[in-house]
Amino acid sequence: MAITLKDLLDTGAERLALELMWGDGHLNREIEEKSLNRPGLALTGFFQYFAQRRLQVFGLAEFTYLKSLSSKEREARLREMFEKNVPGVIISRNRNPLPEIRALAEEYKTPLFRTTMITSHFINECTLILEELSAPRTRIQGTMLEIMGIGVLLQGQAGIGKSETALSLIGRGYSLVADDVTEMVRTGGRITAFAHELTRYHMEIRGVGIVHVPSLFGVSAIRRDAMLDIVINLHPYMNDAEEERTGIQPGAIEVLGIKFPYYELPVSPGRDMANIVEATALNYKLKLLGHDAAKELDEKVIGTFLRKVGK
Amino acid sequence: MAEKQNISREFEVLNQYGIHARPAALLVKAAGKFKCDIFIGRKGEEVSAKSIMGLLTIEGHQGARLIVRATGTDAEAALLEIAELFENKFFEE
Repeated sequence: MAITLKDLLDTGAERLALELMWGDGHLNREIEEKSLNRPGLALTGFFQYFAQRRLQVFGLAEFTYLKSLSSKEREARLREMFEKNVPGVIISRNRNPLPEIRALAEEYKTPLFRTTMITSHFINECTLILEELSAPRTRIQGTMLEIMGIGVLLQGQAGIGKSETALSLIGRGYSLVADDVTEMVRTGGRITAFAHELTRYHMEIRGVGIVHVPSLFGVSAIRRDAMLDIVINLHPYMNDAEEERTGIQPGAIEVLGIKFPYYELPVSPGRDMANIVEATALNYKLKLLGHDAAKELDEKVIGTFLRKVGK
Repeated sequence: MAEKQNISREFEVLNQYGIHARPAALLVKAAGKFKCDIFIGRKGEEVSAKSIMGLLTIEGHQGARLIVRATGTDAEAALLEIAELFENKFFEE
């Protein structure tokens, strides 16, 4: 996904204390490489391996070095850098840009920014924002809940009772993240789930219509986002043949390239799905704590049998 | 309507670990495909072959001799399918 300077400014202006000094009309420039470069080495005249597709950050070192040059050299080196068509230039520590930088930015139509942050903090924060902006994301059909710290995505065909199950779980004190449609963003090895801004904290219950969850249940009934831990699929009960019966080897499902435990829960009259979803989440939590009930019982059974036959 | 059958057969548990969770799940899945009632156990103490927790209590260790009893219209087919599991050591060692 292409990220432009405008995206960076929209998302990060506040967090990065970023101010645009020149280039309002050129903010649709793309940041091709989602990383930052300090052009110190290039300014000494060494332009091999110059990371020209990255944003260029001028810190104290660059400034001091540029000031040690004659004005002719300074202009020539900077011009060489701007000629490479870098996406943008950022000056840290709230310095005033040197007149040469300002003039070249305009000449090469390269937006020029300034931040009050010190260079290392700026680079850390800006890298995070660039990563957030470029994180793989997807929209998944399913209701997202948080049950005792476990992020649960509830899936299943329309009308199977996802929202009704979620409603019961909210009634038990767990929190809703998103109803029916959940946005997923991958950051590092984890996935954060949240609702679309427009429909956030609302849900649709058949026969009732659209309800605003925090108005009905209070703010503890909602969460802005949650990490995804497990996926549960509700499906109509058919027969015994296909279900997992021991829980020793749960299935898996891939979301944005990461594998998550996947549980198929059959729905049939009289089965309280909220109860079962809750048990599934809590059992998973128990597993995380190192207590795998299914496996432990199995080991106990096997141990007993082996003793019986004298092995 | 098909005739109601009532048949039983004795099997020996051949696999090393006996009827632990995995074989129990296989038995339950096989039994669940049939309409007939199926019971496994010893004389006087038998459990439904459609119950995992039940199967774990019959102590089907290696060498144990268990009687499988099926009653219903499809009892014979059910017994054939269950026999296959016992004879193949539940597909383990």
